[in-house]
Amino acid sequence: MVRQTRVAVWDGSTPAWIGAIVQSSSAKIGSNHPMLLQMERVMKLDINNSIQDIDAQWQDESLLDVLREKIGLTGTRFGCGQGTCGACTVLVDGVAVRSCVLSARMLQGRSIVTIEGLANPDGRLHVLQQAWVDGQVAQCGYCQSGQIMAAAALLRRTPRPNDAQIDAALAGNLCRCGTQQRIRRAVHRAANMLS
Amino acid sequence: MKRRAFLVAAGGLTVGFSAYSMMPVLPGRPKASAHAAHGWLKHHSGTFELLLPRIELGQNISTALKQIACAELGVEWDQVRVTYADTSMIQPVRATVGSESVRDFAMPLAQAAATLRDALEMGLREGELEPGERPVEALRAFRAGASYVGRTVIPDRALDLVTGAPLYAGDIRRPGMVFGRVLRAPVSPEIGSRPRSYNRRAAYAVPGFVALLDDARLRQAGSYGIGIVAQTPRALERIERALAVQWQADRTFTQAEVDTAVDVDLHLENGRLQHIIQDDDVDTGAHWDVDLRIDIPAAAHAAMEPRAAVAEPDAAGNLQVWTGTQDAFFVRDVIADVLDLPGDRVVVHPTRVGGGFGGATICTVQLEAAVLAAHIGRPVKVVWTRAQESAQGFHRPPVSHRIRARVAQGRVEAWWHAFATAHILFTNAALPPWLQSVAYVTGDKGVARGALPPYRLGARRIEYQLERLPLLTGPWRGLGAGPNGIAIESALDECGWVAGADPLAFRLAHAHDPRLRQVLVRAGELSGWGQNNGTQQNALGVAAGIYKETSYVAVVASVERTSDGRVRVAHLWCVHDCGRVINPGQVRAQCEGNLVWGLAMVVSDKLPIRNSNVDAPNFAALAVPTMADVPPMTVELTESHAVAGGAGETAIVAAGAAVLNAVRALTGVRHSQLPLPRAIISSVPT
Repeated sequence: MVRQTRVAVWDGSTPAWIGAIVQSSSAKIGSNHPMLLQMERVMKLDINNSIQDIDAQWQDESLLDVLREKIGLTGTRFGCGQGTCGACTVLVDGVAVRSCVLSARMLQGRSIVTIEGLANPDGRLHVLQQAWVDGQVAQCGYCQSGQIMAAAALLRRTPRPNDAQIDAALAGNLCRCGTQQRIRRAVHRAANMLS
Repeated sequence: MKRRAFLVAAGGLTVGFSAYSMMPVLPGRPKASAHAAHGWLKHHSGTFELLLPRIELGQNISTALKQIACAELGVEWDQVRVTYADTSMIQPVRATVGSESVRDFAMPLAQAAATLRDALEMGLREGELEPGERPVEALRAFRAGASYVGRTVIPDRALDLVTGAPLYAGDIRRPGMVFGRVLRAPVSPEIGSRPRSYNRRAAYAVPGFVALLDDARLRQAGSYGIGIVAQTPRALERIERALAVQWQADRTFTQAEVDTAVDVDLHLENGRLQHIIQDDDVDTGAHWDVDLRIDIPAAAHAAMEPRAAVAEPDAAGNLQVWTGTQDAFFVRDVIADVLDLPGDRVVVHPTRVGGGFGGATICTVQLEAAVLAAHIGRPVKVVWTRAQESAQGFHRPPVSHRIRARVAQGRVEAWWHAFATAHILFTNAALPPWLQSVAYVTGDKGVARGALPPYRLGARRIEYQLERLPLLTGPWRGLGAGPNGIAIESALDECGWVAGADPLAFRLAHAHDPRLRQVLVRAGELSGWGQNNGTQQNALGVAAGIYKETSYVAVVASVERTSDGRVRVAHLWCVHDCGRVINPGQVRAQCEGNLVWGLAMVVSDKLPIRNSNVDAPNFAALAVPTMADVPPMTVELTESHAVAGGAGETAIVAAGAAVLNAVRALTGVRHSQLPLPRAIISSVPT
């Protein structure tokens, strides 16, 4: 069965391996019992600098469901399951990706960072988290983990983004409450804190 | 289960079976009283607990009510802990809808806090207190200089929201929890539909399969579903494919059928419409200076959080349900009724909602989770897919308006507004036709909301027609007020052009309410009205309104031409007066949200009909505004000591029309078919 898969990332800085993962995972969904083929294999994921064992039952789930339902990192949220809303954005090797359309299996050996792992090791908030609090960005808040993670990827490659760069980087991160103006301001605020 | 099964065979619905649907979607519960409010506050050894009687949807009502509690109790922020009250903790309260939370809950809460404070000062430490009603002047929370009230306080949950703490229904995980989904025919749930055949054996063979349930209690509206339960979320998808359900539906419908049903001109051919809001003596046969038809399609809530619930039965047959809902007590009552449980055996724990907007007001996914959990005797999590959100949810009804007006000596002297639409409060998502027919007599106040213009317009005739549509329609942010505001302010704007008047001056000439005048005047000052409107490249438009007689707003939109010949919204100014403000930062946030919603109504909101249902299985089809679509916005709150009104749905009455009126000023074209085509509106900067 062919499954419609949307591209998981949206900007020009995407490494080729992400495209490969998306294609490969979407192809696997269609096969009969992918779980059986890998049943005995041990699978480990590097999540927020901690190595997690993933048992056979969860090895063919999406990264998002493994994070949320297997490991209990529920801060990354399910919005569409189609890679189109950005609520499930996490960092893989520093790049913002949609965890809902990635198979967990394909991420072995990669470094995964979620909203729960974004703060500094000493417990201080990441500048973006602080800027989000100070700017009272969130309304319902459901999209905001994804917004922050996408903004974190942006600041990694563009430390002083302008409005157009922010709009482009976050174009795939939807917010229905209407917090766009506060998001834009908070990214600027965080960039200023960094410099 | 057997008891219910005959109803499937009979193929019809009986009164008895439909018992749980007999409650209106917004059940009539009394307004919160000081007596009920006593259950919201507790004190143990120096710390206070506020059992939140409202649902947190992002309006930050938990913060506003905590501000009032702290001010009235005279205690520090950290001394009051907020608990999201489950249905076993407090007396039933109304749904969290209609921007009522501050207006109707702040006062009883302050009364309760005052009583508690007095009792503590008298040395009481135990027992339940009798409510004491005191005049507003005696309450500390509403005095000038009150602590916390009237100040921007950072919400308690701000840190949780940026660190990924569990907050929403989908974040709930219970020991032994499995995952459920109810498969339904792809047609609108308003149409009778049921599974015709499916491959049960293939489903059993799928790794991760837990259960399959063909049970009439899973019916929602006319849709009979098949429940599946699996060990993991992706196993649900494999089971769904293996089952290969063939569906049977009672009928089909098209976009044209829906358009015809709400075509106001067709209804007007038959004379007066069903419901009359205002019936002055208007000569309907004479010449009209303005004759405007406006069509606004159905629209989705498109909340970022799909509807979700976790249900957990215990050995004694009690059921716990965690869910994001605007009405926990309604969810409890529906589940108890369908599962034949006494009401107190079902406890609904309302979680933070990831965007309500009116869409989380009835019982849908919660009942699915409850039935599946009761069947397998384990906790079950059900999260609707994005496609289910669209296909199974209800939506803002489509509407068509016909507004005719006569203008003489710079004034509107006759105004005839007719519109045709579908039910909102009497939603077909919860009410069968025979019960909805009550609305034939009473009308639908949700549909009528905001239909009375806030201006003095001479003789007025205002009427509307309700049609039950084959798609599910119901409450959506502001109910009828958003679409009605667009229609009224578009037509009034045209009257201004006929009169040759400045749009702002024309409104002021017709506005008699001093608070409406004030927001209009101030919006003009803020936007530089009269100084920079009217060039070839840019123009301003204005609109205003009053929401539920308590909150006032005026919006000015600036639009400009882009290099590719389209039009782009460059700026929105909003002046807002909702009376006394508890938390200015959060009121501003609500205004910003309403401006974006008003903009979306004009540039993107639509739900096309295809294959006998709305056709928007993903966000690409919904076209929710992105970052670049949202222009800079300036919000100003008017200082006011009037009674606190609502902020959650006020600016939406003016934002959309302000944009349309600006486009009219720039291009000379009155757009009356929404949303504007993308060939006209652009988010690309010049």
